[in-house]
Amino acid sequence: MSDPQLSNEAAVRVKKTKSTVLQRNRDPKLGLKVTLGFIVALIFISPIIWMLFVSVKPNGFSTTQPLEWFLPPYTLYNYVDIMFGSLIFRWLFNSLIVAVITTVLTLIITSLAAFAISQMKFRFKNFIFIFFLLGLMIPGEATIIPLYEVAKSFGLIDTYAGLILPMIASPLGVIILKSFFDNVPKEVIESAIIDGCSYFKLFYKIVLPLAKPALSAIGIFTFIGSWNNFLWPYLSILSETLYTLPVGLPVFNSTYSQAYVQPMTANAIASIPVIIAFLLFEKQIVKGISFTGIKG
Amino acid sequence: MIKKQWIQDLKAIPFLLPFFVAYMIFTIFPIFKGLEMSLYDWTLVRKLEFVGLENYIKMFTDRHFWRTLWNTTFFVILTTPTMVLLALGLALLSNLNTKLKTFFRGSFFIPSILSVSVISFLMIFMLQPYNGLVNNVIQMLGIDAEPKWMADQGLAWVTIVVVTLWWTVGFNMILFLAALQDIPESLYEASEIDGASRWDMFKYITLPQLIPIGRVVLLLQILASYKVFAQILLITGGGPGGATRPLIQYIYEVGFNQNNLGYAATMSYALFFILLILSIIQLKSQRSGEN
Repeated sequence: MSDPQLSNEAAVRVKKTKSTVLQRNRDPKLGLKVTLGFIVALIFISPIIWMLFVSVKPNGFSTTQPLEWFLPPYTLYNYVDIMFGSLIFRWLFNSLIVAVITTVLTLIITSLAAFAISQMKFRFKNFIFIFFLLGLMIPGEATIIPLYEVAKSFGLIDTYAGLILPMIASPLGVIILKSFFDNVPKEVIESAIIDGCSYFKLFYKIVLPLAKPALSAIGIFTFIGSWNNFLWPYLSILSETLYTLPVGLPVFNSTYSQAYVQPMTANAIASIPVIIAFLLFEKQIVKGISFTGIKG
Repeated sequence: MIKKQWIQDLKAIPFLLPFFVAYMIFTIFPIFKGLEMSLYDWTLVRKLEFVGLENYIKMFTDRHFWRTLWNTTFFVILTTPTMVLLALGLALLSNLNTKLKTFFRGSFFIPSILSVSVISFLMIFMLQPYNGLVNNVIQMLGIDAEPKWMADQGLAWVTIVVVTLWWTVGFNMILFLAALQDIPESLYEASEIDGASRWDMFKYITLPQLIPIGRVVLLLQILASYKVFAQILLITGGGPGGATRPLIQYIYEVGFNQNNLGYAATMSYALFFILLILSIIQLKSQRSGEN
């Protein structure tokens, strides 16, 4: 016991047990709960796992034995076939380009407006802010018919611009960013102004870099929202080459309604990018939800 | 002084203008446009004659309007309490002190980032009779049944509710999870010293601390459920026999299939007011929760 390393280890162990006691790890039913959680988690992802397995099955594969879905033979032929033999690649590209531009434009216009409301002095500021807040109460789904008419009069039906522009004015984004900008220390801003810094420089050199967490939360949600948006693209796009994935997939799937493999491969192609993105950004996404969800 | 104020005002314009223009054109203007449209006969091609309140009168006597509004309300009634309870349950599971918790959170959340088209068709294929995965599993368990999930009214509702829960519960779970992690550890430590059981802790500490976020989840869920459209359109098409058709689908059909944008806009207004009232209740209750 005089071995210093051993006693050190013992100390670590004591410390560990102590901290787990404090974390209330003495739950007698913990094992049971973890098992329950494991089963529920499996049920939750089993459809996605099934989709991925079916997507690598040979063409025309079908079975009544559940296990056979998961056993070989496998092939990647469907992926190649669908990527080159259908419009899915084009739809993937459309979704991506629309989501990226929507996100960038949303971040630009909401952060500019939030900066003005947070840091600048001008007349009717409170009135303008409340006017923007009203937008929170206006559900896009309920104004979709007149929006169609408005978009039509601007020549935006069946265009990329029509998919993007109606989605970029996010009042929630302005509110979140404004409260973030409000917390930038006054001394920083005052000294920058004394140094002769213009408002625009103050905005993009000082305030914007400090707001990265808020910007990334808004960015991630705008991106996911745009990527998965269904109703507006469904109404406003007529040509197949301009479909986004959510609008194109149903068309594709119903042409193959008797088959299993092609639709599942198409669904997998649509899902794999977002699943990878989720695994990469998991922490930010989770933080972003708890952050925007409570304030919204 | 007055001159200086002008300069200040002018400086704010470039910052405010881009958002203001987009907001006016695509958020505010459609509200007034909708009001105008609801007073006219209006086709997909152009505005026809002024009909006054005719569309509104038609709406109040249109049994399809009431049926689809009821279907939507029924969907809200079915999904809201189950959503809150399921989200809470999953959050508690994700908060267990185990190495698997990242796996739990990921599994519960991943469905909600998938496109509605993907989740809908995944379910259609899994629920197909004869060689769909679900029925095969049911039979593997020794139950001799071949449920037709989309053809029976009750089963169609079950399908839609289960799919919606599976698809969207992840977001709500994370709200609960964040609230769970915000509960001060000292509360539990103190009650432990007082000899409280784990059930007591849950009942007297955890649950009361979760009430504010529970209220937010509840109201957000009601709002979201009133906007239900895509998963029903894609999974049951509103069937069987219109039994699951929601209001937005009916608005869409009137506008784009029956070429009557004026009447579609009128019904949009009904939905607009329902959602507006719910939003106001939400904002009010959130404010009272903060105070």
